Amino acid sequence: MVSKMIVANVLHRPIRTIVSILAVAIEVGMVLLVVGMTNGMLHEGAKRVEGVGADVMVQPPGASFFLGLTVAPMPIKLADRLQEVPHVQAVAPVLLHFNTTNGLNLMYGIDMASFDSVSGGFVYYEGGPLQHPDDILVDDWYAKANKNKLGQTLNLINHDFHVAGIVEHGKGARIFIPIQTMQTLMGAHDKASIFFVKCTDPGYTDDVVDSFESLLPKYQIMPVRQYMSMMTSNSLPALTDFVRAMICVAVGIGFLVIFLGMYTTITERTREIGILKSLGASKTYIVQAILEEAALLGGVGIVAGCIGTILARRLVMIYFPTISVDPLDGAWVLRATLLAIGGTLVGAFYPALRAAQLDPVDALAYE
Amino acid sequence: MEPIIVTEDLKKTYRIGKVMVQALRGVNLIVQEGEFVAIVGPSGCGKSTLLHLLGGLTTPTSGKLFIDGNDFGSMSDGERTRFRRHKIGFVFQRFNLLPTLTARQNIRMAQHIQGNGFNPHRFQAIVDMLGLHDKLEQRPYALSGGEQQRVAFARAVICEPKILLADEPTGNLDSENSQVVLDMMRTINRSFRQTILMITHNPEAAAIADRTVRMRDGHIISD
Repeated sequence: MVSKMIVANVLHRPIRTIVSILAVAIEVGMVLLVVGMTNGMLHEGAKRVEGVGADVMVQPPGASFFLGLTVAPMPIKLADRLQEVPHVQAVAPVLLHFNTTNGLNLMYGIDMASFDSVSGGFVYYEGGPLQHPDDILVDDWYAKANKNKLGQTLNLINHDFHVAGIVEHGKGARIFIPIQTMQTLMGAHDKASIFFVKCTDPGYTDDVVDSFESLLPKYQIMPVRQYMSMMTSNSLPALTDFVRAMICVAVGIGFLVIFLGMYTTITERTREIGILKSLGASKTYIVQAILEEAALLGGVGIVAGCIGTILARRLVMIYFPTISVDPLDGAWVLRATLLAIGGTLVGAFYPALRAAQLDPVDALAYE
Repeated sequence: MEPIIVTEDLKKTYRIGKVMVQALRGVNLIVQEGEFVAIVGPSGCGKSTLLHLLGGLTTPTSGKLFIDGNDFGSMSDGERTRFRRHKIGFVFQRFNLLPTLTARQNIRMAQHIQGNGFNPHRFQAIVDMLGLHDKLEQRPYALSGGEQQRVAFARAVICEPKILLADEPTGNLDSENSQVVLDMMRTINRSFRQTILMITHNPEAAAIADRTVRMRDGHIISD
């Protein structure tokens, strides 16, 4: 009977109902999308580094964990010394640059031959390798996002490049130019930001790392697998704090809208509450009825939020193909659900309490 | 037999803003079980306040109030609510049906709140007596005033209350519907020995009662 009353009340005020559901849906969607996007971009970035095919990464002393945020103080000739270390199959020097045209993208300046040796070579959807100083390769996601075509001229780093090839995504960066061109444009002659090293067998990775550390004691030398394990939000406290802050904002939005919605509802339904009291409804009955109504709105909002997140993820992948959003994670769906339900019930609690404490005589006389 | 309602020097004072209003100034009333009592008086004489006290919706400022042997004055809000749930039915001038529920759901709400479960036989008997068969699935906005008041009566009596308190039950009805409601109340009183207290301005309505109590300025002036 109470559920019939609750459903009837919810349907009787469609605008209030839709707004409340939307608020909870946005709350849930924000939580899931923020987590999905931060994890997605972290994971996708890490996978691309893994996709280079290297076993070891060598960076200069004090290099940033985030590739591309490091200046290029390493002499490129270091590659020859690294190549001489036992169990090293190939060394690819790369000069990194953060491009801010058409979004934020990491550019690799590469030596085609050595990069192919480490990575196993690009998969070309169109065109072919870098052959001229002004050639540029873009991956298929970048090309789709920016509507790039083979032969097109791209202006990056204040320089016109010619799209020589469109390659399969997943090998470090989305944009590749010849390392000499990058050195010239960055004023970093004969320099590299990072060396990607492939071992003759992945089993020799630790030995190679030890050898490198003896050779270059202050340099940052890391197995790629270690880098991969670090690329989670848990390893990045600032990112965790950011996610938490966004979750707080989301829960706050849901709480406030539900609070306002239920408070307004209680005011509108003062007389109805008086009627229930005249029938003998206890304070507990009234609180329960209002919390159940809020829970219903919250429940529908949660479902709408999850569906909305799935749709939003699809839309992001279609319209922003370079942005990665991890699919819905069961643990986070549960967390978002609990946060939404908790925020909804807390938001409705004060209005429910107020309703229960209404004087029945005053409530019955309310216009 | 012990009276079902006993009040001794019952007083009620309200605070409205900074002003204290003495709505009841010492009411002494005895009502026997099965009586039909009409309470009449000018506006502001304390009739509704008396009804609210008898229904446990508010507490007296002083004096004694016994309903079916229970001292209302010493009961907590929760105890009065529980008592009202099982033993008191209300009918209001403005019908006070829940607007989002159908007539059937409005009537059943009273049984649901009482907590004794749905009694289909009682429900059908009340519906038959009040002629509500074809109105049960309508919401209040689709019912006439008379029909709404019949639904309100059904809701008030479905749980077999000891006392039915009616606050100007014909106040919002035309004469034809008023007569229907009054006839219904007389039938309920005669057939089921239902104790009824009815507030009214209408002398014709008061005439159907067994007894008329007149009030003025918070006192009973004649009984």
